[in-house]
Amino acid sequence: MIDKRLLRLPGTKKLLLMLAGLTFLQAFVILFQGKYLAEALVNSWKMKPLDTIYMPMALFFLAFVARHLFNLLNSRIVDNYAANTSEEIRSELLDKIYDTGSEIILRNGSGNLVTSSLDGIDLIENYFKLIFTKILNMSIIPPILLIYIYMQSISSGITLTIIVPLVILFMIILGLAAQSKADEQYEQYTIISNHFLDSLRGLPTLKMLGLSKKYENNIHVVSDEYRRRTINTLRIAILSTFALDWLTTLGIAILAVFLGLALINGTMPLFPALVTLILAPEYFLPLRDFSSDYHATLDGKNALGSIFETLAIPDNKTKDTLSNFSWDENSHLEIKNVEFKYEEDAISSSLDIKELKLSGYKKIAVIGKSGSGKTTLIRYLGGFLGSNTNANVVINDQQLDNLNVQSWRDQLAFLPQSPYLFSGSIKDNIKFYNPLASDDQVNLAAKQAGLDIFIDSLSEGYETIIGEGGRGISGGQQQRIMLARAFLAKDRHVLIFDEPTAHLDIETEYNLKAPMEELFKDHLVIFATHRLHWLKNMDYVIVMDNGKIVEQGTPDDLQKSQGPYMNLIENMRGDQL
Amino acid sequence: MSFFKTFKNDTWVKPYIKQYKGLLSLAIFLGFCTSFCAAALMFTSGYSIDKAATQPVNIFLIYVPILLTRAFGIGRPVFKYAERLRSHNWVLKITSELRTRLYRTLENDASFFNEKHRSGDIMGLLSEDINHLQDLYLVTVFPTVVAYLLSLFGSIAIGVFSPIFGLIIFLLILVEIFVVPVFSVLIESARREKQKSIKANLYSELTDNILGVDDWVISGRYDDFKNLSQKNLKELESLQSKSKKFRRNRDFVLQIVFAVIAVCFLIFTNIKFTNYQAQANFVAAIVLAIFPLSDAIIPVSQGFEEWPEYKSSINRLNSLKTEKVELPEQVDFDTKEFKDIELKNVNFTYNGTSSVIIENFSQKINRGQKVALLGPSGIGKTTILQLILGDLVANDGSVKVNGIDVSKLQNHRTEIFSVLNQNPFLFNTTILNNVRLGNENKSNSDVIEALDRVGLKDLIESLPDKYDTIVGENGERFSGGEQERIALARILLQDAPIVLLDEPSIGLDPITENKLLDTIFKVLKEKTIIWVTHHLQGVNYADHVIFMDDRKIEMQGSPKELYNSNEHFKDLYNMDIGI
Repeated sequence: MIDKRLLRLPGTKKLLLMLAGLTFLQAFVILFQGKYLAEALVNSWKMKPLDTIYMPMALFFLAFVARHLFNLLNSRIVDNYAANTSEEIRSELLDKIYDTGSEIILRNGSGNLVTSSLDGIDLIENYFKLIFTKILNMSIIPPILLIYIYMQSISSGITLTIIVPLVILFMIILGLAAQSKADEQYEQYTIISNHFLDSLRGLPTLKMLGLSKKYENNIHVVSDEYRRRTINTLRIAILSTFALDWLTTLGIAILAVFLGLALINGTMPLFPALVTLILAPEYFLPLRDFSSDYHATLDGKNALGSIFETLAIPDNKTKDTLSNFSWDENSHLEIKNVEFKYEEDAISSSLDIKELKLSGYKKIAVIGKSGSGKTTLIRYLGGFLGSNTNANVVINDQQLDNLNVQSWRDQLAFLPQSPYLFSGSIKDNIKFYNPLASDDQVNLAAKQAGLDIFIDSLSEGYETIIGEGGRGISGGQQQRIMLARAFLAKDRHVLIFDEPTAHLDIETEYNLKAPMEELFKDHLVIFATHRLHWLKNMDYVIVMDNGKIVEQGTPDDLQKSQGPYMNLIENMRGDQL
Repeated sequence: MSFFKTFKNDTWVKPYIKQYKGLLSLAIFLGFCTSFCAAALMFTSGYSIDKAATQPVNIFLIYVPILLTRAFGIGRPVFKYAERLRSHNWVLKITSELRTRLYRTLENDASFFNEKHRSGDIMGLLSEDINHLQDLYLVTVFPTVVAYLLSLFGSIAIGVFSPIFGLIIFLLILVEIFVVPVFSVLIESARREKQKSIKANLYSELTDNILGVDDWVISGRYDDFKNLSQKNLKELESLQSKSKKFRRNRDFVLQIVFAVIAVCFLIFTNIKFTNYQAQANFVAAIVLAIFPLSDAIIPVSQGFEEWPEYKSSINRLNSLKTEKVELPEQVDFDTKEFKDIELKNVNFTYNGTSSVIIENFSQKINRGQKVALLGPSGIGKTTILQLILGDLVANDGSVKVNGIDVSKLQNHRTEIFSVLNQNPFLFNTTILNNVRLGNENKSNSDVIEALDRVGLKDLIESLPDKYDTIVGENGERFSGGEQERIALARILLQDAPIVLLDEPSIGLDPITENKLLDTIFKVLKEKTIIWVTHHLQGVNYADHVIFMDDRKIEMQGSPKELYNSNEHFKDLYNMDIGI
């Protein structure tokens, strides 16, 4: 019922002890509350005057208040614990994201990660609350009340003892029945419940096909079908609640009858009978509470489970053994025998490089059809793939296992296919690699990237806020901001480009060419592209296929050899004018 | 008060309550019976015990209360069960209607889809709004109305014996079900609103963290990465803990007031019901009956708390425009007679904005022509397609098909035009169903033939479910190029003379792109095509190319002509093919 991993979270054991203590006290005040209420009622029944019930009434009131005060303390402790723990988990999750890089995104989906670090954590907070409080309530309060009830009336005690296993048995049987029925319908059910959103999103398409009017009827039919199925499932799903309710209320009714008979026979005075009757609902209450929020608990449990799973992904940090490293025109990098698979059991490797040498300020193109391993090679060189790619790496005569080290990354500027701009000002986005750069330096970098005219046209200039992911500005300007970032980072001498112009229209790309060529100077450039005109700017071309380098050399040499390089180019060009 | 303002011109909640008041009353009545039975169970069992304690000579004297105890004991779960089914049924029934209505509203309001800068996933929001309305009924309206009825019923019952006690109890309950709930809405509304906006910021910050993680890692700015969302997280947390604290304290206060009510009952019964034994036998009954009622009364505040959420949903739904676009009288059109489309001196500006999108655009396209439209993004290429379809109306100038204004041909638009855009929408159903949407009168073999023509036959027949394969949400089961091909098959079935292509190959790699364009122009050889594209790959398929630059036509002509006569075009073309 409790995820074992929960107990390993810091503070959990202490929390459980504290809560157990509080719940224990609470059980006793519940007992007192019942006892003094019964006393007051017995006195009234005996038609004694008001002043005889002052004392029990006051004590009842105090017990009642104390009970809810303990409740308040209980929630406060759990709330604090939940807030701290959630914070802790969220921080660990961010660390994990940082340590594993975008691999974790591939695995989970970015939307998923954002949702689980916000909404998921809210669910978990709920879960903590429900699970800790409710389980403790269920395991501490009923036994204490039951002992007291046995002391008052053995037959009542026996009645109440028998009902609980019955309740649990019924709940299990009905719960299982509902489960299998729900599973049966689940797939259909989700399709139908998503149908409405699907239709809304597809409305423009339906309109273009002239079906939108006709489809309206379909919405109603499907919606009604959904209602029918929901009600059918619900009919069984709430049976277990029904059984619980039925058995507990019936338990109270039976108890009342037994007590009544005992009273008529004179084998029992009123007080113990009344106190038993008052405590009976309290005895069942924790069980009822527990089952009522069971589904909310399940959601939280699943959320926690998926976060724990994410946290258990091994990170691929490598120890940074490079010393005094920076890339310059005399630097060289040699990589031998790299192999990498995205999934352990994949048949063929996504990357399988026998030997690769890079040096100085060379411009190197990486080409290949989609799925050839271009991007994987780029990610390897960018140091994003970790210890699962250990190989023989020599960089400026220093030995390394792989490139996943900060000293190497400190030399990189990275331009991906769709640049990611942060919500913030244009200035902050340009300063991303060098947060301490001066305004003059930023202006110069923007000018070099051909961004100055655009920025001057904005009323807020450099302070203009751009939305999440660069929302609000065109793809071309986004890439220019990325270029300005690289211009500003004078101490980074390796440029890694992953098809930065793939999504741009031809004229925008045309206009970007000049600043990019300017940026290439004094940099080692590694440029994955399927835009062939860039090849003219390159000193060296690597042709990839199936994760392997199938050909490499200068563009001229490759053209002469008429091998995979020329073959690929023909295919990419298609028919011409 | 915002409560009344929200409902003043409301058409999404009130009319439905009125329309289904019979079933609504039934659900509420069942809810009332549930609580009533819970109270009555304690009442009758309390009474039978008190009565039994007088040791009546005959056991049959407590026979009736014992029977009633059993009846109420069974009644409570039965009513509760019925109530839950009834109320869900009622709500889901209304949901069906709301959904149909939302769909109809959006369907009528064509401009809805064309308005630019709609932020975020508006469709997702609207469909969430409908879910909020479900909660409004299930979480708030039903329990609140039941609690109010019970309170009224209880106070009146006491009032019969003693008007003063009745009034005191009524006032105390009023604190529980009205004063505290309203107070809680007042206190929490602003806080909730604030939490919502911080949460939206956090979403974007965490997205920055996650989608931008590669950049963070390269920059080495670990601390900034961790701190990015810290400020908002801290603020959200402090607000949330304030909310939690408020909720804890509020619930505590509610319980104390309840304890006061219980004490009042103890005093009341002691004073009023101790004149003779038969009367005193009711003491425990009356006092014990009130305890189960706390389950109905205390959660009222919680239901009220959700009000801000409901309010924004109700307001958003009510703000949807319902008026229909007025069209001129429609005329008949025989698609076989299609000759040409002519745009004459078209000017276009979005309503309420000053920036001109299209200025003085003229173009005549004859039957069978293939026209390519190029230019940087945001320049109004797609707008021209929408003007041709009649979804947008030009401020000046005209768009005519065979000399008839397109606004007069809207009844025939699906027979005249097909559209293939960059993200063709596929419904989460089978391939067969998706393609057949193009023309519902076509047989399975027609659909399969169309899929064959677009080059998907082999792929689909290699799948386990073949043509009955479910395409998944947004067609995720298939790659971008394959999705375009499925949509293309749909267009083949539709068989309209004019096909508008809106960058169908953007985002595809060049080899896939070449193959797709090849297929498109092969199967649509007979059609008139207007093709918006972002680069020159495949431009040889077009017989006329138009370059737009900042609202105007920069250059146009046949691609060969332009290549030979225009330096800029030549540069662009050479760059595109990498010469």
